[in-house]
Amino acid sequence: MDTSNTPPATASPPVEDQRVWKAGRLEPMPIRKLPDAPPSVHLIGPTVFLVALGVGMGESYMWPRLVLLFGPEIRWLFLIGVTLQAVVMLEMARYAMATGESIFSGAARVFKPIMWFFFIVAIAVYIWPGHLSAGAAAFEEITGIPWVVTAVCGLILVGVIFSLAKVIYNVLENVLSLLIGALVLGTAVVAAMVGSWGDVATTITGMFAIGYLPPEAMTAAWFPVIVGACAFAGPSGMQQMWYTLHLRDSGAGMGAHMPKVRGLRHAGEQEAMPARGFMFDTEDPAEMAKWKGWRRWVTFDALLLFWGITMLVTISFTVIAQSAVRIDPGVREVIRGDDREVALSAMANAVSSAGSSVLGTIFLGFIALIGLNATLGLFDSFSRGQADMTYNFIPGAKKLRMSHLYAGFLWGVIIFGILILLFGPADGPSGILDTLAFLSTFAMGAYCVTLLLVNNRMLPKPIRPRWWTNAIIGFGAVFYLGMLFYSLFAFGVVVG
Amino acid sequence: MDGRHSLELALPGATIGAVAGAMAGGLTLIAGVPTGLAALAALALAVPLAFFGGLYGALLGHGVFRPGTFGPAGLYWMAAFPLSRLLQESVAGVGMADGVPAFLAYQAMVALGFAIGFIWVHERLMPYWLLRRAGDNPRAAALLDSYVRHAEALRARKGARR
Repeated sequence: MDTSNTPPATASPPVEDQRVWKAGRLEPMPIRKLPDAPPSVHLIGPTVFLVALGVGMGESYMWPRLVLLFGPEIRWLFLIGVTLQAVVMLEMARYAMATGESIFSGAARVFKPIMWFFFIVAIAVYIWPGHLSAGAAAFEEITGIPWVVTAVCGLILVGVIFSLAKVIYNVLENVLSLLIGALVLGTAVVAAMVGSWGDVATTITGMFAIGYLPPEAMTAAWFPVIVGACAFAGPSGMQQMWYTLHLRDSGAGMGAHMPKVRGLRHAGEQEAMPARGFMFDTEDPAEMAKWKGWRRWVTFDALLLFWGITMLVTISFTVIAQSAVRIDPGVREVIRGDDREVALSAMANAVSSAGSSVLGTIFLGFIALIGLNATLGLFDSFSRGQADMTYNFIPGAKKLRMSHLYAGFLWGVIIFGILILLFGPADGPSGILDTLAFLSTFAMGAYCVTLLLVNNRMLPKPIRPRWWTNAIIGFGAVFYLGMLFYSLFAFGVVVG
Repeated sequence: MDGRHSLELALPGATIGAVAGAMAGGLTLIAGVPTGLAALAALALAVPLAFFGGLYGALLGHGVFRPGTFGPAGLYWMAAFPLSRLLQESVAGVGMADGVPAFLAYQAMVALGFAIGFIWVHERLMPYWLLRRAGDNPRAAALLDSYVRHAEALRARKGARR
């Protein structure tokens, strides 16, 4: 800890700690008190965002599909993917809670071009509104309202809500909490009604068939699909990086010293955002005791909420998919095909034809709900991340408030999204689809490497990760990048 | 009087249980299942889930559970949820193909997921309800106090802001 600026003994109150922690080439972080960790292990925290973003197509479609095609044994890869993501989440939280900075700022402290890489990848990958289509299409199946209308209305609604909100984090946390609560309760009830002990037993034992890969999985047609599904086990792309912004805004750890981002209508009340985070005194045993409290809090979040809910939703959807095939074996053939919407509605129809047509509707309802959750979370997170990087690292951007930048990115992506939905290819131009899929998975390997650099070089020694955590994150980098490049070089295909 | 106070605390949990159970019923009507059948199936699940949800709230008021903690609530639902499903299957079900023990074991597993969702929503609703009832209901006031202590600790944390 750099104590070169220790205040003179005669300093009069208010005594403000003048010590700083020097991390990288950016402005040093002043030493401040670490707030107390929440007194009890409470269920509600910023993990709600990660769950909202993470529980998506991977859990509700890609993995159930793979289980139907290759058997439950393929799920060992899912277990590895989600467990890896739980450790990544803990490590992302380490930097964000210790400094109140986002991982993007941490990356810039190591080497600014790393941060710019993520800035560009975010725009390239997340500006396309294709992720809206599955949820909106499911809504169309239920109500008959054309999906483009739903998607455009949804986009405008998201923009209006986030612009009017006083403190965006609070609104989003409340809305997402209720939506996810409904999803979790509903999924449990549906799984309880359609599944059986046999289904769930094979699904769970399949998770421990480590190393199982049927010959068909190692083909140019299916290996890229498996790589894509591994990348979509839990939060995909840059979602874990955005989680650090939510931690900061929820006031977790040193994030308590940072102002919150406000909606456009209340931008005038926005406090000036400091250009750097803060550090606590890691040589003070009392501060370290509080730090341990924070780590316990986030570990509970990671294990029960994130890992638990992701597993529950996937197991439930897999059980539903297995019931669908049992009811109508033709579904298996439809699912082999590449059309997601057709496969989803075939699954819904099969479940409906069992004499309980309610379940088909509920199934589609959940797909729509998952789509809505993901869209709310994705638009907010994207805008938050880009605004954070712009504010801190683009010269002159500090003349604007963070809330204005947030609103600029939010409405930019919404207007672009509407134009593309009406006139262009929703997933992005077909010529660059492969590149986008590549970048999304590549970003995951890249953030593992970034995490290792940031946490091991930018944090004081007492709060750096242990060797085994580093080993797991290192394995993550090899897992994502290895599978991606193997797919590219062995089969000439990027990600399915 | 004490009974009425406990009943008031039971309301949020009972509502969540009832809504979760009736979720199927509401959508059944859209899906075109005969109304009578749909209502019976929904009711047969909604009633026991509402009962156990309410009981959870009442026990919370008596200090058996602590607000927001998962472990004890998870165990509670591992017993309560399978019982509710058993009741529903007995009244409006199509029979249990695997036999009762396997059925109960499976339901107990799903119950853990249900418990996460239940606690999640309950923690969102309960404080608002307690705020409304604390004036007339000493049990609600006591429980609200524990929520307030938690919130104050959080505020103290945020007050540490520069």
